Amino acid sequence: MKERRKGKIAGLLFACPWFVGLSLFMAYPVCASVYLSFCEYSVLKPPMWVGTENYRDLFHDELFWTTIKNTGLYAIVALPFGVLLGIFLAMMLNSKVRGLAFYRTIFFLPSLLPQVSLAVLWLWVFNGDDGVLNEFLRMLHITAPNWLSDPAWSKPALVLLSLWGVGNAVVIYLAGLQDVPVQLLEAAELDGASAWAKTRHVTLPMLSPVILFNVIMGIIGTLQVFTVPYIMFPGGSPARSTYFYTMYLFDNAFRYNKMGYAAAMGWIMFLAILVLTLFALKVSERHVYYGGEAK
Amino acid sequence: MAKAGFTVPILAAVVLTAWWGTERITRTVYDPTRIHVTYWEKWTGFEFQGIEAVVNDFNKSQNRIHVDLLSISDVGNKTLLAVSGGVPPDVAGLWGPNVAQYADDAAIQPLEGYCNEFGVKASDYIPVYWDICNYNGHVYALPSTPASTALYYNRDLFQKAGLDPNKPPETLEELVAMGDRITKRRSDGRLDVAGFLPAEPGWWNWAWGCVFGGRLWDGKGKITANEPENVLGFQWVQDFAKRYGPEDVQVFQSGFGNYASPENAFLTSKVAMELHGVYMNYNIKMYRPGLNWAAAPFPYPKSRPDMKGWAIADEDVLVIPRGAKHPKEAFEFIRYVQSQKAMEKLCLLHRKNSPLSHISDDFWRRHEHPYIRLFDQLARSSKVILSPKMGIWPEYSEELNNAFEEIMLMRKTPQQALDYVTTRMQPKLDQYLERLRRRGEVK
Amino acid sequence: MKIRNRFRVCVTHFALAGLSVVFMFPLLWLISTALKRLEETTMHPIVWIPKHPQWHNFADAFTYGSAQLGYIPFLVYARNTLLLCILVVAGTVVSNSLVAYSFARLKWPGRDLMFAVTLSTLMVPFPVLMVPMFALFRDLHWIGTYRPLWVPAWFGSAFSIFLLRQFFRTIPFELSEAAKLDGCSEWGIYSRIVLPLSKPALAVVALFSFMATWNDFLGPLIYLIDQKTFTLSLGLQFYQSQHGGTQWHLLMAATTIVVAPVILLFFFAQKQFIQGIALTGLKG
Repeated sequence: MKERRKGKIAGLLFACPWFVGLSLFMAYPVCASVYLSFCEYSVLKPPMWVGTENYRDLFHDELFWTTIKNTGLYAIVALPFGVLLGIFLAMMLNSKVRGLAFYRTIFFLPSLLPQVSLAVLWLWVFNGDDGVLNEFLRMLHITAPNWLSDPAWSKPALVLLSLWGVGNAVVIYLAGLQDVPVQLLEAAELDGASAWAKTRHVTLPMLSPVILFNVIMGIIGTLQVFTVPYIMFPGGSPARSTYFYTMYLFDNAFRYNKMGYAAAMGWIMFLAILVLTLFALKVSERHVYYGGEAK
Repeated sequence: MAKAGFTVPILAAVVLTAWWGTERITRTVYDPTRIHVTYWEKWTGFEFQGIEAVVNDFNKSQNRIHVDLLSISDVGNKTLLAVSGGVPPDVAGLWGPNVAQYADDAAIQPLEGYCNEFGVKASDYIPVYWDICNYNGHVYALPSTPASTALYYNRDLFQKAGLDPNKPPETLEELVAMGDRITKRRSDGRLDVAGFLPAEPGWWNWAWGCVFGGRLWDGKGKITANEPENVLGFQWVQDFAKRYGPEDVQVFQSGFGNYASPENAFLTSKVAMELHGVYMNYNIKMYRPGLNWAAAPFPYPKSRPDMKGWAIADEDVLVIPRGAKHPKEAFEFIRYVQSQKAMEKLCLLHRKNSPLSHISDDFWRRHEHPYIRLFDQLARSSKVILSPKMGIWPEYSEELNNAFEEIMLMRKTPQQALDYVTTRMQPKLDQYLERLRRRGEVK
Repeated sequence: MKIRNRFRVCVTHFALAGLSVVFMFPLLWLISTALKRLEETTMHPIVWIPKHPQWHNFADAFTYGSAQLGYIPFLVYARNTLLLCILVVAGTVVSNSLVAYSFARLKWPGRDLMFAVTLSTLMVPFPVLMVPMFALFRDLHWIGTYRPLWVPAWFGSAFSIFLLRQFFRTIPFELSEAAKLDGCSEWGIYSRIVLPLSKPALAVVALFSFMATWNDFLGPLIYLIDQKTFTLSLGLQFYQSQHGGTQWHLLMAATTIVVAPVILLFFFAQKQFIQGIALTGLKG
């Protein structure tokens, strides 16, 4: 009896920091943010209750819907491509090829760059007239689009940029691939399975929890895209094509001083993430295989 | 195990040192001998050196107050953030258009009390430059350096096109006609030289309607972005996109370098005429001293001869944020900057005109700008254009910028684009005013 | 069979090489720009290898702005970032290992529910927390200091708790049982058995949090006021001036300097890093 009691106390004690952190830096801001979303608040003046006015205004705010559209379009393309590229790269890096350490560093490099430099660097790469990318395309006699000033090509430019930063996910996939039991692969090979069949029936299912993890983190991440478009495309130009949800939220909070409005936006984003994550989990129940491990 | 015994204390020592270090870096030092006034300014490079010289003069002239000058990028947002965060500077160098928003947000302090005490009055200044600092019946700022705009044109390109370089266009129609003669295309059809491009430099996209006599709001509560004069102005803008072809314009513009670089479109003779401020002269001298250029009042629409001699007036201003620790000393410094000696020194170093109504002969003599009298004259003109004094101006100007882009890309007609701006901004303005009324800050 | 293998290895090699060239392009551009003069950076057609590599750009990047400010910004920003990283990494490792240990190996009422709640907080986007946290720190008079950036790290973070908890569960429970029979306290088991066996996982957590802090932009943007206190991610903006006129060559040189140590660190530590993640078993 006393053992159990001691264990319980120890458990609570060890977890103390998180209890404090959770209440101070998570629960309190979350509750405050709910309250603020029903207020008109500009930090320099006390919050004033306005009921559902912020939410109603958002509903009628065309810019709000534009940012949702932009963010959605961006996420729908960036996420799947990112997952595919990540898995593909990880599988290649998992083979016995010479110079692995070198390759892995190269692919991981982009995620080590500071955002400001990254944004500025890609401003040059994407430059319509004399950027690297367009020079290359012109060499291949492909009409080079005007990435930075053509609203139709600005989001694709950002998607390409996000693919460049896939190294983070690759490392996690690589780790997951280490866990694929070699025996299963060997058994499959003895059965005469081709590389594709092995991938489809052994590797991917064993990797599926990791994929699910990356998909969920990816949903959360791409919906919050901020820093790079903030630096590369201030104001979401051209013509608001790259004005993403978090950018509008930030502008509302810190440039227009409409913090209540921004808080309401934050909550809507949270609900969206919640719904999408639950959806991903539900869908995954059928497709994700959890290798035997005692819970 | 013995080794492990050392690692923990060593790591702990490292962490404690880091903590001590971070606290040390961010601590505020207390100097009992003088009052320290923190002053955040937006400028870098030679402009920063200009204000630094004035600050040094002030610090040397007395030993009660020491002004600590800092160059802060994105000073507008940073100041707002600092006021929100409870740690504002004592003086901030903002722009004229910031005044209304910051005043409504209660982020800056009214200064008329100090002005009366220290004898600063409206008649000291050229009217428009005093006007910019006033809002809602209060004085919220005082000028640091002013600016006015005019037509800069490339005399060589004029000559090459067979135009008289001493006869710049007087009306907008003439400008277009002359521009057409100067415009050249490459063999592959792409633009090589453009006569005039409204989007270059693109700092006053909102103003083109005002050039035709339009107003952006009625001063009370109505957004008038889509009134006929504004539509005319933006129609004139869109004609350029039609003339050159919107894709061509895009590609052409993407090759331009930044304003303060040798690759600037005007400096590389890619664009022959530009609307630009008094400070452009310095850029030309810095990066392309051999350029053969001249300045003239910007052309007016033939249909509006009353707009002759128009110019956009703007200025850098000094404000005292709310919550400043030493507001009175801050004002003493600001007062110093307003003196004839200090102001002219600053404006000379910045190569700009002066906001004071009285200009010394010394100023004219020593000024580098060959056309400085023109810019001074334009600032005193009755046809001067200001950005609207509205708290929601940041949002409004973003909408207008967006409309400008849509128009230049030929995705909307000017009427459509401006109607859109109006329908978006009117409810925002209504709500903004409603909220101010609710808080008892009657507008 | 062997031929098929050889072929596969060849194709993989080819694909990897091709993709790495694509990935490296912008980075080669970065280094190339770092070695140019300012005028060369905007010339076209593009100059890949500058005729006279300006090696002094690296030194210039270091001292840029020192005339204006009276100190060397770059070194100052680097020092600030490093100090901040030390505090954050230490806090992350210490607090999260304690908490994860509790979730993984100790039984207490409400534990699993609390873990589910912890996971769900991963979904709360920062923008939701941004404004109230700013107001909270303002009332504590912490704006303008580094405290908002590192103090929360000492109170746990969902992601690290998750990672470490998964890992701690893979350590056989028999070890704990045996130690308890020998009269060892929970603290003893934690510090003498579990922690030493968890070095790879701890390394992963440390590295992730180091990189996140090193590159963090939004946090310093909101909480740091005085330029002298800026971190590298913010400070690099210093090379851009108000009206344009960015010092491209110096910005790229500075970036190269900033990135070099991290690259080397990763290059030499990758194996442990990947192993560490693998061992945390991101399943279930």
